[in-house]
Amino acid sequence: MRTDAVLDALARREPIADADAAVRLLGALVADVDSQRLSSVSITPST
Amino acid sequence: MVVRYCRARLGRVSGHYHIADDVAQEVCIAVLAALPRYRDMGRPFASFVFGIASHKVADALRSSVRSAVPTQDLPDGPDEGPGPEETVVRYIEAQHARDLLSRLPDTQRELLILRVVSGLSAEETGNVLGMSPGAVRVAQHRALARLRQLAELESIA
Repeated sequence: MRTDAVLDALARREPIADADAAVRLLGALVADVDSQRLSSVSITPST
Repeated sequence: MVVRYCRARLGRVSGHYHIADDVAQEVCIAVLAALPRYRDMGRPFASFVFGIASHKVADALRSSVRSAVPTQDLPDGPDEGPGPEETVVRYIEAQHARDLLSRLPDTQRELLILRVVSGLSAEETGNVLGMSPGAVRVAQHRALARLRQLAELESIA
């Protein structure tokens, strides 16, 4: 199914040819989420 | 994966993901706290983690208290990131995506975020949502079609 391939490509952060509006928006969301460095998560309580 | 999931669901506040990242940290702490009660029921551990993440995000959305915004120290070097215009365009498009996703039924929204943003396979997503891989593939097709329909309606309006 093409939808499965498109979603897999988005998940792998690969460019998608002939992307429609919905796919472009999902791609923008992914790019935005990835744009800020993922900080390491600390569970050390603050003092 | 949990950080990306929280960021996709909660978005930015004042241009930063600090609230989403805080929630991701709470998820990690909650997972650690719940580990003694965890029983392997044959489902992947990710479904246990994302179940907790989903509840934490829902709690954050309910409270959604946007209090004082902590600021980071000013960067002491050249900014290699995209320029202001590209950053704003990307932010607006991402926010638009979140707005449209929020109009989907809960399962469809969760499914698309888990598949695309968190990068889970159809099988892994099915384990998180309690669906078979086949049901995930049917639902994701409907979810993407619905998202496409909403985007087209907005472009006409």
